[in-house]
Amino acid sequence: MWVTEQNVARVVEAYVGEYASGKSEMAINRALELKNQGRQVTLVDLDTVEPFYTLRPLQDKLENLGVNLICLSAKDSFGLGETGAMLNPKARWALRHEGDIILDIGYGIHGAKTLNLVEGANESEELKILLVINYTRPMTNSRERIKEYIKSFDRIDGIIANTHLANETTVEIIKKGNTEIAAVAEENNLPVVYMAVDIRLAEEVNQHEFEIPIKFINRYMPEAIWS
Amino acid sequence: MVAPATPKSWYLPSKPHKFCPGCGHGIVLKALGETIDELDIQDKTIFGCDIGCSLLAWDFFACDSTQTHHGRTTPVMVGIKRARPELIAIGYMGDGGGYSIGSQHLLNAAVRNEKVTLILVNNTNYGMTGGQMAPTTLPGQKTETSPFGRDPELTGYPTKGPEFISELTPDGAYVARATVSKYKQLRRFLRNALRNQIEGNGFSFVEVLSTCPTNWRTNAQQTWHFLEDEMEQYFTVGELKTPFGKGDK
Amino acid sequence: MQKVIGETKKAFLTGNEAIAWGCLAAEAEIMFGYPITPQNEIMHYWTRLAPKYGKNFLQTEDEISAGFTVCGALQTGLKAFTATAGPGNVLMQEPFGMAEAMRLPFFAIIQQRGGPSSGTVIYSQQEVSLTAHGGNGEGHRIVYSTANHQELYDYTIKGFNTAWKYRFPTFLLGDGYQAKMREPLEMYDPSDRGIEIIKPFPLIGLEGHIGEDREPQHLRNIYSLEEELYDVVLKYDSEYDSIKAELVEFSEMQCEDAEIIIISHGVVSRAAEDAVKALRAQGIKAGCFRPITLRPFPREQLLAVIDKSNAKKMLIAESAMGQLERIVKYEIYGQTLPVETLFMPGVGIIDYDLINKVKSII
Repeated sequence: MWVTEQNVARVVEAYVGEYASGKSEMAINRALELKNQGRQVTLVDLDTVEPFYTLRPLQDKLENLGVNLICLSAKDSFGLGETGAMLNPKARWALRHEGDIILDIGYGIHGAKTLNLVEGANESEELKILLVINYTRPMTNSRERIKEYIKSFDRIDGIIANTHLANETTVEIIKKGNTEIAAVAEENNLPVVYMAVDIRLAEEVNQHEFEIPIKFINRYMPEAIWS
Repeated sequence: MVAPATPKSWYLPSKPHKFCPGCGHGIVLKALGETIDELDIQDKTIFGCDIGCSLLAWDFFACDSTQTHHGRTTPVMVGIKRARPELIAIGYMGDGGGYSIGSQHLLNAAVRNEKVTLILVNNTNYGMTGGQMAPTTLPGQKTETSPFGRDPELTGYPTKGPEFISELTPDGAYVARATVSKYKQLRRFLRNALRNQIEGNGFSFVEVLSTCPTNWRTNAQQTWHFLEDEMEQYFTVGELKTPFGKGDK
Repeated sequence: MQKVIGETKKAFLTGNEAIAWGCLAAEAEIMFGYPITPQNEIMHYWTRLAPKYGKNFLQTEDEISAGFTVCGALQTGLKAFTATAGPGNVLMQEPFGMAEAMRLPFFAIIQQRGGPSSGTVIYSQQEVSLTAHGGNGEGHRIVYSTANHQELYDYTIKGFNTAWKYRFPTFLLGDGYQAKMREPLEMYDPSDRGIEIIKPFPLIGLEGHIGEDREPQHLRNIYSLEEELYDVVLKYDSEYDSIKAELVEFSEMQCEDAEIIIISHGVVSRAAEDAVKALRAQGIKAGCFRPITLRPFPREQLLAVIDKSNAKKMLIAESAMGQLERIVKYEIYGQTLPVETLFMPGVGIIDYDLINKVKSII
């Protein structure tokens, strides 16, 4: 199964999806999960559309947890001005790092084409492109819309069902949303790798009610003010 | 290994610079730095930059520099030059700043033959704000605000700046379009544009076709292809108006 | 320095002319402007006078450009200025904001006209909020509201000095009536009154070889991080706060035993003074208070005046729908004196209006 990689040589995953679909949250959780398995992990912030609203505020925290982070740090960005379509030059060579690589791709009409900016990404046999979908997001809140959205990508290797409504999330919302996502995934012959569930709902959500594997996640992004 | 020579007029504490990998700004600013050195005008140059990616050059040069508002670099440089004609005023802006929000300033400065040098970097999109459609976006090109490709029926055709500016300016003006793919030509055009200001002949304007792999989402090969096979086909490179006689074909 | 004015003498002028002469006396070097009524004659007279004294003028493509060309010229150390009104004042908020952010010694004359929108070209006091608190920041500005032609001349000279001394955007806030009215005033050379004209100085285009004699100057108005901007704004605010006491100006008439205090500014304060005289002649104890600086506002002074009076009420009168009133109420928060108002937006207020209003409320 996807989520156990004791025997996998190297994990290279790119997280793509709608604006505010939970890409960064999935990427952070994944990076920490791998780290906790004793693996070496590099997390790369590739949000070029809104790079000043991404991982920067979490940099210290993630680095203290042992994750190697490639993003625009506060120090690097001193004096830069605006929000800035900025790319840390290190991101270009991210795949040259040893160990696992988690790529957090920003939203935007170019979708996974952002991977063109990472040397060797498109040729990598290890790369998995994972599409994060939150059914409560208006652009992906029906089967039709999800289908249309998936079509905008040249390549997707798997889907992560991440239906949440912030602090108002209920089991019903998760169940309804993720069932719809799974149906569209099946139609498109795409695996739903797992469904992400806020760990605070751990007692209310039972695996036996779902066919999709559940992964409980911590929410880190609310530590950034705008999340 | 021999490191490439750094122009004397570069401000070293701000290096390495802040542009994305593969961005053309670095090439333009290197050519500009070498030209400032060659003409020995570092001490009297005022470098002004706009909002947009050109902003990232606010402390690029070891020249007195000022950063303005989006589209307003032209009037600030005009004010500087009118106030102190002995200074060399260089305005640096993008296609959005020059051809869209600041177009009335560009147009009128050209008509008045203001003795400033403006360098406009054309990368066919708004880079700093995340890759939106610019006045120079090519027909069919996808951007964040033209997600299905630019439709000229709805949004017109790309602005051809040097073409309209050469029509507006009187004799004495210098107007050219360069590209980062032809470095020696770029250097020559920048030299002519600055020489024109030094000699007090008139308005000087150079548009430079440049690359934006970050927002184009292109690898090195695709980037070069878009510049040479798309942009340079649409936007003709060369001198459109020069007081120095035709030297470039 | 060549004296522009020469021997002090009384002259008969329109308000806009008085300002143009004041700019000359203040040793201004260049005006950038765009036509808009009712400030046009400032440009007309400046362009007639300028060549005689080696001064310059540029008519720009719009007010945005006029404001930004001033910003550019100021940075190189030239005493530049502009004048505008109404919708032009709206457009100039952008360059005023840059001046505020970069601490440029920007001095501008605003001749208020009716609003909103194109309104009238004639008169109002409706540009108080915009001038005193405009822009997308904190409005760290200095605003002098004048009442007569002598003041137009005096505060033009003073306005340049204030701008160059403190480097906060400084405004002379007049109006269309003051612009077009004609009355005598005394024109003088500042040095004859012991007024020292502050010499301009450059921020860029400095002397010396870069890297040998000096470092390059890199000026900016943008910051990438919240905390960087926060520090800058707090620093500006504390500097602004520290100069308030030396900047505030006001005038006051017969408030000491007054039972009603009329508060007004600008040209309306002339009507207030006439009204006080007339009311006193009829046995009504009235007084009046006029802030000359609308920003910073003479808060302590107004509170002290109210304190030592016998006032039962105050009357705020203005040719706007409460723009002065909002400032006054904010500034004297906690003071419980009942407030009456006379708002005549875009319309002149004469002593007769005030006398009737006072009689109706006491």
